[in-house]
Amino acid sequence: MQEYRALILRSNRFLGSALVDRGLVSVNDLETANETFMEAIQASELKRASILNTLLFDTKALDEQALLECLVEESGIGLIDLNHVELRSLRPFDVDLSLCWASSTIPFDKIEKTYMLATCYQFSAPVLKYWEELLDSPIIWYGTSSASMTRGLERIEEIHDAEDAAAADEE
Amino acid sequence: MPYSVLILDDDADFNSLLTDIFEQADYAVTSLTNPLEAIDVFRETEYDLVVADHKMPEMTGSEFMRHCKQIRSKVPVIMVSGYLDNDTIRELIREGVGGVFLKPLNIFSLLERTSSLIEEAKKLESAPHKEQGEESEREIDAKLGFSFRSFPCKSTASTSLANRLYSLRHFRSTLTLIGETGMHYRSICEDIRGFYEGNAEHFIYLSPGTFDHAQVISLIEQAKEQGAERVTCVLLDFENMSESEKKLAATLPKGDTDIQDLGVTLRAIYCVSHDLDSLFEEGLIDEHLYILMGTAEVPIPPLRDCKADIGFMAQQMVVDIAREKGRPQVPRFEKAARDLFREQSWEGNYEALRNTVQKIMNTNLGDVLTLNIVKAAMHGNAGASPRARFESHLTSRQVDLVRAAAILFGGDRPKVASFFAANVNAVASKLQ
Repeated sequence: MQEYRALILRSNRFLGSALVDRGLVSVNDLETANETFMEAIQASELKRASILNTLLFDTKALDEQALLECLVEESGIGLIDLNHVELRSLRPFDVDLSLCWASSTIPFDKIEKTYMLATCYQFSAPVLKYWEELLDSPIIWYGTSSASMTRGLERIEEIHDAEDAAAADEE
Repeated sequence: MPYSVLILDDDADFNSLLTDIFEQADYAVTSLTNPLEAIDVFRETEYDLVVADHKMPEMTGSEFMRHCKQIRSKVPVIMVSGYLDNDTIRELIREGVGGVFLKPLNIFSLLERTSSLIEEAKKLESAPHKEQGEESEREIDAKLGFSFRSFPCKSTASTSLANRLYSLRHFRSTLTLIGETGMHYRSICEDIRGFYEGNAEHFIYLSPGTFDHAQVISLIEQAKEQGAERVTCVLLDFENMSESEKKLAATLPKGDTDIQDLGVTLRAIYCVSHDLDSLFEEGLIDEHLYILMGTAEVPIPPLRDCKADIGFMAQQMVVDIAREKGRPQVPRFEKAARDLFREQSWEGNYEALRNTVQKIMNTNLGDVLTLNIVKAAMHGNAGASPRARFESHLTSRQVDLVRAAAILFGGDRPKVASFFAANVNAVASKLQ
């Protein structure tokens, strides 16, 4: 994940500011979350480096329901629960799973040239920009909860592990 | 104390009559018959009203009035004459005469008009000068709900800035002000300081090349001695600080062990001229600072986004400079001049505006700053020689250097004056 260190820094900084700007957390809450975030960054524990997760689960300063409502109201995007989506390997999309962890985003489907992406970082402009440039195709964005995202990423990891094991068996 | 009246009439008899009339009405009267002498006397003495004959051998009453208006424009003038045609009367009124009385005089009308003119002048003198759209500082404060001086808050951008800063006044450890070059961060931070009452909040200002760990500790100790419970360190021109200064600045919001031992809560305000992503990409701030400074970012609007403010800022600068120079009268920009200010893009922002106003004040001593004066100053800026531009740059840096030295010497003005081989008053003036 080290190659996405800069993206993690930028996306989290933007997300933090966006949450404060929308009144979803206070500046003081964000300062506390930033401290935890920087500890994770400096320890190179990049999977743990998420301001969103710190605010939701460590400091409990952010109400995820309010965040999702704000997201729908402001961006007009749909919400999706990845637990009810049949996830597949990302390898056909030529997408690195570490990038998905780094940006809390999963491309879960593709219809013709259009990708369907679920994200927890819709309010973070660097995340949207990074994926738009990477895929260079039309994208339909969906919002999702942090728990749904984490479980989705774990499931894809399991799918990739199974693929790797099958490939090893064939060899 | 009676109001004072200067009477000028070359006709000795009529002069005597006017003098009697005003003295009977309890005015303190100075009677003169020579307009040139009257001008000298008027220049040297404060009067509440002038009464002048229109027809005199040395000069007309109209010419005399123009001299008076140049010296003190607000003193009302009444003209008396044996005969004046309607065109002349209209002309006199257009030029600012407060009343025209023909002989033989209606004494009661004359005294009534005198009284009302003096009252009007006194009211104008005590009330702040207003033009259309101009509000007093108090009115602006009432509108905002708090005091804010670094921008006049006539524009949406500056009003939003004031409200955002006020809403963030309880920031716990870090605030970042991001603006273009030439911004007046110090004034903005002084406004933030003004959001708090009492003596428990202290702000210390740190510029590149002016501080180290020991000096910061010394400044915090001094603040504590003066009653500070919380100290906010303002890091001016942060991106141009040395690596060691940046490293120290990064620890300020929490404080290292030595600083924590002082028992004072610390915060930091970082003032930068580029957005954080640019600074990070250029390696001017590290990851830690990037996140730390990103906690609460406040963009400072460039002057071109606050056009409605510019003329008023320029006028406020005139007030400040007049005060610094000890000028008894504060000159005012005429409206066309203020309009010209707002039409400029002011790439150098506040600093460029201040330099222009300073230049105007250095070369003009009149009470009214006209469109042509402003045009000349601006033209001079655009076409200035490299030497003149360098001089202007050094002048603008002068205040920063004096302030830096003041920090270095712990605010000891005689030491600062000695350092610059200047006198204490000059140093005090710069520090103001």
